[in-house]
Amino acid sequence: MPFQLTDDQLLTRDSVREFAEAEIAPIAAEIDKNHRPPLESIPKLAEMGLLGMIIPEEYGGTGMDTVSYVIAIEELSRVCATHGVLAEAHSSLCTWPIVNYGNAEQKQKYLPDLANGNAIGAFGLTEPNAGSDAGSTSTTAVRDGDEFVLNGQKIFITNGGFAKTFVIIARSTDAPGAKGLSAFIVERDTAGFQVLEPEQKMGIRGSSTTPLAFSDCRIPAANLLGNQGEGFKIAMQILDGGRTGIAAQALGIAQGAFEAACKYAKERVQFGKPLAALQAIQWMIADMAVDIEAGRALVYQAADTEDRHEPHSQASAMAKLFCGEMATRVTGKAIQIHGGVGYTEAYPVERMYRDAKITEIYEGTSEIQRLVISRNYLR
Amino acid sequence: MRIVVAYKYAPDPQEATVASDGTLDFSRAKAIVSDYDAVAIEYGRQLADAQGAALVGVSVGGEAAAKPVATKAALARGLDEVVVVSDPELDGAGSTRTAQAIAAVVKELGDVELVLAGDSSMDVGARMVPSVLAGLLGWPMLSDVEKVTLADGSVSVERLVSEGVQSITAAAPAVVSLTSEAVKTKAPGMKDLLAAGKKPVAVKSLADSGLVAVSEGTVTARAKLDGPARKGVVIDTSDPAAAAAELVNALRAAGVLG
Repeated sequence: MPFQLTDDQLLTRDSVREFAEAEIAPIAAEIDKNHRPPLESIPKLAEMGLLGMIIPEEYGGTGMDTVSYVIAIEELSRVCATHGVLAEAHSSLCTWPIVNYGNAEQKQKYLPDLANGNAIGAFGLTEPNAGSDAGSTSTTAVRDGDEFVLNGQKIFITNGGFAKTFVIIARSTDAPGAKGLSAFIVERDTAGFQVLEPEQKMGIRGSSTTPLAFSDCRIPAANLLGNQGEGFKIAMQILDGGRTGIAAQALGIAQGAFEAACKYAKERVQFGKPLAALQAIQWMIADMAVDIEAGRALVYQAADTEDRHEPHSQASAMAKLFCGEMATRVTGKAIQIHGGVGYTEAYPVERMYRDAKITEIYEGTSEIQRLVISRNYLR
Repeated sequence: MRIVVAYKYAPDPQEATVASDGTLDFSRAKAIVSDYDAVAIEYGRQLADAQGAALVGVSVGGEAAAKPVATKAALARGLDEVVVVSDPELDGAGSTRTAQAIAAVVKELGDVELVLAGDSSMDVGARMVPSVLAGLLGWPMLSDVEKVTLADGSVSVERLVSEGVQSITAAAPAVVSLTSEAVKTKAPGMKDLLAAGKKPVAVKSLADSGLVAVSEGTVTARAKLDGPARKGVVIDTSDPAAAAAELVNALRAAGVLG
């Protein structure tokens, strides 16, 4: 089925690309080199409306469709994967569950600040002993009067270093495994809640990835998101959408590397002619182009499926699996086309290669995506 | 009061390719609001806000200029409304016909204090439309403008000229073309895109504009694209001082330097 973008989606791409090239691209290499979260970009992302794309207009967002949203993530990631995941984790992992599971008070209290950039969102699911096996979550939330008391630790939390609003999955009932989990909203300045030192990572180095520690952290019972025992379901639905967002991030990284490779191939002269005149290079460019277009089709298809309110876990898993591995392939070829300089910091493709790898891992590894996909055929 | 911005929805030169004979191929270039006209829209927005004026975009072109994706792209940059004269006959129209169509709209709109234009169109770059338009309207024409002030029925501008900055005051209404640096443009945000879909768009044909008989005039001369034949002089630069002297001698011999 051919996918045709609407005028608004095309204009979203043009606008975000113009913004990303003017405001984000100039700092992409520096924040990577210095492992520096680009806090100065947050007001700019907010002014562009890129932090409230999936927040309804009544709460200060623009309530745009999922296809437009993933196009925005793709375009940010095309120049800087750190900015892509900053906006993606904020929207898909924190804002989405509040929009879809929050009650009226929670929406009114949290969404306007998430839309205008006063608060960046983060999501706490992963723990030292609960990675792909999210049902083994051991952080506890014990009801005590009008409060829940949280204890435990989370790791690898994107935006952890500066987020103000966290959606946390914790065990709140005696029910075993996944059935005992619930979702909570936790504010950064809550007593007993501590954000620990950020990880030093291979890629997306400007992205703040931190552990979180809860030590008798008391939050109002009103911060329960959805119903008790719904935590695992909410987390899986968050990840269904999030995976399309990460697929879009991977797609953007690949697109950026592809454009850099094409530019270099036309400029670099060897054997008396541009690299682009050599068949070995032409074939790599062709393979990269096909890879990217196939990935784009899967990403937009998954986003469109979500927009049609149809089950989309299969489509998002396919998009995430393919685009994560595709981005690693494409960025690797982009380095190969550059040759020796591609392996240096003088060109952006080595950064893109390092950035691409995480898209095969976070928000569900490629192996988990294969599990999700195969289950649909083997049940 | 109205401030009009004349803008062109034109193929992006960044996506054009140069053929071996020196001609530009725009056939695969995506159309966008001309970069220089985006400057005029941004400047016009600030001026209109300060004056309490309505900011009206006027564009002339073929069918593509009137498509919603084209008008929304312009409106999202800050226009309050747009009027497009769209007709297959105007696809690729030159300066005269374009200016005639814009003039017709400006006259019909009425209460226009100022027409702003970008430095030039980004695909053709003739820098002719604002001057022809001013001539047709009988208004002053001020080019290369970096700053505009509207007050008491006059237009004061600062022009960027080779000797420096020139200040001129003219009677309003006037036509003003801005330099590409007059103001820094910014990408339309998501709220701008949403708002653009709710703003008024008027599409007129040539007949609606009363301009059926417009003519481009006669082009009497055309510059060759490839210029004079190259002499193919190669200078060895291993000794920079000797190379510089050789270059100067070669240019003197060719009569380029006195």
